Formats: sequence, C-alpha cells, structure tokens
Amino acid sequence: MIIPIDTVLILSALLFGVGLFGFLARRNLILMLVSVEIMLNAVNLSLAGFSQLLNDPRGQVLALLVIAVAAAEAGVGLGLVIALHRNKPGASVTDLTELKW
Amino acid sequence: MSIVAAQAAFYYMAAASIASALLAVTRRNPVHSMLWVLSLFLHVAGIFLLLRAEFLAAVQVIVYAGAILVFYLFFLMLLDLPGEVAGPRFAPYWVLAAAGGFGFLAMIWLARPAKVYLTKAANTDGAIALGSPGNISELGLALFGTFALPFEMASLILLAAIIGAVMLVRSRTVS
Repeated sequence: MIIPIDTVLILSALLFGVGLFGFLARRNLILMLVSVEIMLNAVNLSLAGFSQLLNDPRGQVLALLVIAVAAAEAGVGLGLVIALHRNKPGASVTDLTELKW
Repeated sequence: MSIVAAQAAFYYMAAASIASALLAVTRRNPVHSMLWVLSLFLHVAGIFLLLRAEFLAAVQVIVYAGAILVFYLFFLMLLDLPGEVAGPRFAPYWVLAAAGGFGFLAMIWLARPAKVYLTKAANTDGAIALGSPGNISELGLALFGTFALPFEMASLILLAAIIGAVMLVRSRTVS
C-alpha cells in the first residue's frame, strides 16, 4: 500500500468543494470561470487516481477529453464575458439581472 | 525513489494544492488569485506524475498552465473588470457558497466506506515508480484505437467552440 485511494479521492473532493465555494462566492465573472477550472481539475485528479488504481488507461483518456472540453469552455465563456463587457461595461455579476437588453 | 519520499511528496503536493486553491478563491486581487491557480495546476501536475499519468501531467502543464491560464490572464488584463474591493466582504451569497461547500464535504463523508486501495501488481516493488516506464504507449493505443471516435469528437467540440467564440465577439457593425 503506497497511498490509499481514499486520499486521492478526498483531495479531489476537497478541491471540488473549494472550487464550488469560489464559483458561488466570487462576483467577478472571469474568476468564477477560473473556479470552474479548479472543479474540472479536481475531477481530473480523481479520474487519474482511478486510472492508476484499476491499471486502466480509460481514466486518463477521459481526463484528456475533460481538458479539451475545459479549453472549449474557456474560449466560449471568455467570449461571452467580452460580449457582456461590450453591452454593459464594468458590470458585475450582481448587476446582470436582465436576460435581454 | 523510496516509499517514504514518494508519500512525502504526495502529501506535500496535496496540502499545497488545497492551500493554493483556498488562496485562489479568497484573494481579492484577481492577478494574485490567478497566480495561486497556477500554483494549484503545477502541484496537481506533480500529483499526476506520482499517479503515473505522465502524459496527463505534461498536458496539465502545457495546456492548462501554459495556454488556458494565460488566456484567462490576458482577458483579465484586457477587460479590467471591477475588482472585488468595492463590495462588502461577506455578500449574502457567501452563506450559500459556504453551505454548498460544506454540503459537498458531507457527501465525501458519506462516500467514505468505499475503501479500495492503490495496491496493484505494478506497485508491489515498493514505490510509486517515478523512473519506471509509464503507460504512455498504452494510453496512445487507447486514444487512437478504442477511443478514436470520442477523440475526433473532442476536436469537433473545439472547432464549434472556436466558431462560437468568434461569432460571440465579432463586431455588430454592418460593413
């Protein structure tokens, strides 16, 4: 026994909880998106841990796909931030209460 | 690498990544926050190395820390969004956020009986093998053999994201 899988999973869950807290507590749009990246990283950690536990490369394949989706999410999310910034310069999340303007 | 050294490295990286994540979500200066996220990503890459996911560690450093985070930093500096300095320190959402985080911790506690250990035949030689040949070839075979279709679909997702981002940010003026 080198490292119990529990440790990896608890670390992953703690990181996910921290990311969730950041996503809910932050009021800056870009920092909210970065909190989502922290959560995705936590998920990748548990996927890599299971991949090592079961000696199976599928977990790592899934983690790579998660990274690709994270890159896509960063592109689209930041594009949305730019579009919001163009329509309402300097708006914080709490001001964005309308669906259309 | 001896067992104790590998375990010490793992626990150091675990503690450092949790501390970096906590600092990243609590710092008020967005750039400091981003740099703590960079520290988190590098420590998670170290954990990937210890878990013998070398390719994942390389991708984590090159794509996550090198490309995605720099992308976020560019946008942070480009847009100059309002800092969180002006608002009250504990907005009403803070309670909701803490409740969400603690609810997640309760879920971990409930999932605790799932006791399985990282003891596989590959580990019986004693250490988490940092120097031993990893499973990159196996990963490549899986990625381009069994999972060729999901791999190509990931490229399609990226293409859709590129087109979507360009459509979102393009200027609305009619030329």
